Amino acid sequence: MAIFTIDEVKKTFSNGEIEEEVLKGINLSLKEGEITALVGASGSGKSTLLTIAAGLQPASDGQVVFEGKNISAMTQEQIRKIRASKFGFIFQFAHLVPFLTVEEQLELMLDVSESTLKKDERKKEIDRVLKLVEMEHRRHAYPASLSGGEKQRVAIARAIIHKPKVLFADEPTASLDSKRSKDVMALIQRLTQTLNITTLMVTHDEDMLSYADRIIKMSDGMVS
Amino acid sequence: MNMAWKEIKKNKGRFMILGSIVFLVSFLTFIISGLANGLSQDNAALIKELPDGSFYMDANADETYNLSKIDPDTQSNLLNKQAEAAALSIQMGFLNNKNDKQQSVAFVTSTDSSLFPKVKEGEVVLDASMKDTGIKVGDVLTNNQFSGKFTVKGFVDGKKYSHAPVAFINSENYKEMYRTEEMQLVFVPGEDKAQSVAGLQAYSKKQFLHTIPSYNAEQMSLNMIVWFLVVISGMLFAIFFYMMNVQKIGLYGILKAIGVKTGTLFKMMWTQMLLITAGALSLSVALSQGFKLLSPDGMPFSLTLDTTIQLSIVFLVIGFIGATLSGIQIKKVQPLQAIQQGEV
Ligand SMILES: Nc1ncnc2c1ncn2[C@@H]1O[C@H](COP(=O)(O)OP(=O)(O)OP(=O)(O)O)[C@@H](O)[C@H]1O
Ligand SMILES: [Mg+2]
Repeated sequence: MAIFTIDEVKKTFSNGEIEEEVLKGINLSLKEGEITALVGASGSGKSTLLTIAAGLQPASDGQVVFEGKNISAMTQEQIRKIRASKFGFIFQFAHLVPFLTVEEQLELMLDVSESTLKKDERKKEIDRVLKLVEMEHRRHAYPASLSGGEKQRVAIARAIIHKPKVLFADEPTASLDSKRSKDVMALIQRLTQTLNITTLMVTHDEDMLSYADRIIKMSDGMVS
Repeated sequence: MNMAWKEIKKNKGRFMILGSIVFLVSFLTFIISGLANGLSQDNAALIKELPDGSFYMDANADETYNLSKIDPDTQSNLLNKQAEAAALSIQMGFLNNKNDKQQSVAFVTSTDSSLFPKVKEGEVVLDASMKDTGIKVGDVLTNNQFSGKFTVKGFVDGKKYSHAPVAFINSENYKEMYRTEEMQLVFVPGEDKAQSVAGLQAYSKKQFLHTIPSYNAEQMSLNMIVWFLVVISGMLFAIFFYMMNVQKIGLYGILKAIGVKTGTLFKMMWTQMLLITAGALSLSVALSQGFKLLSPDGMPFSLTLDTTIQLSIVFLVIGFIGATLSGIQIKKVQPLQAIQQGEV
């Protein structure tokens, strides 16, 4: 069943006089519990599509429909609420909050998603997710003292702690070596399956494609 | 979760710097304001301690009480209307003690009124600061323009004028010393609005204080310094939070992307500003009150807790405005930019 539909989405950037149509009418639907990988040449519009889907920037035309509602027509605040409670984000860099410990990063996300869990339930949930990403031994560490792979695992934990419906990942392994990349992808795959999350991922790395259920190739603003 | 406090804890050094700057600026402000107040007391406590009311001066005196001569009939008309009203005169002069040592004083005489001490001919009531020069009740003092002698009858607290202690004398003695029959001023307490009296010009207490030339000059420059310091501290806040915010633009973008409200980010900044300012201010309030106890006796310093608290509130408001202005960037940052910018 499709929980996420991208319908005739177009995006035009205007740099002064020049108008550049980056997305030329994209149609795509994501199925629950599946990893969809977006591949394509640099500049083909992958990140643009992902950020439009995630409500981080508006489309010039077309619709993004999530759980039957058109995100493109929502107010900023409505979109923020969806991002906070229903979406998870993993970026090329971990982007952790430098002054929070590993544990606190996750607590913050529970706050942001307005989680109704009680204090001890929260703690249990944080324990569980930290175990999932194998970071429970560094729970009191600050980001500065973590390796790149460890940071990315914490970022993944943060992206899923609030049980999002959709996970958006833009080159989640680009800053990692191939061993770490595989670990992270295997983790995303496992989470997608066990938590029934729908994942939309952009990647440059051919090796990562084996983890995807579906591969969508973008070129020249179109999907094929 | 209290992100504001967590950030302060993690970046103690940075916030300590801001805190100590706020502390230094506010401490300096308190001290200067205490000095301004002290000097103003030293200069005009005689007038300032009177209740609110109106001063009447000869309209031809060009706002200079020294040149004012009030017609005796006009004076008694005014005095009859209000029991507490008094006519008074002030002249700077000297008193000599038994060793012929001169002491500068402000001679003040008045008609009968509960607002001023009652002094018989040949007697003088002095401001308490004269005790420090060794003068005691019963001492006999002289003045070069006065044929008789003054016996010290007693002391009163906080009566100073033009940085000199006040010496209250009887009007008959005054008339002899300064060869005049008229009084300079009439003071009518409790008047919201001055009466208009032919030939006289009325001043509120505040207006009258500003006709004293040295008072005006002193207060203006000191108050200017105080307000400059307040404005500077506001700018410090704005600049400091601006720099911190610029460093955190990426972080703000990411937080917004994962769904943190812009309002939450503002609250975080306000909390930090409040914590730092409150900490720094309580320290400087405490120290400035301590300074009051330690300051040398001769130093005119008067800092009430009221003034400190009022100034503290001004600091808080200014800090809030400064921080908020610099926080406009938080509102502007787009989550997308931050993501594309790479590692924060
Ligand atoms: N804010 C913007 N303003 C103007 N042009 C933009 C903007 N964002 C993206 N573009 C342009 O849109 C095109 C697609 O960009 P996008 O980032 O989606 O590519 P990508 O497929 O993610 O590339 P990469 O693989 O290098 O990350 C590029 O030509 C880029 O210059
Ligand atoms: Mg990209």
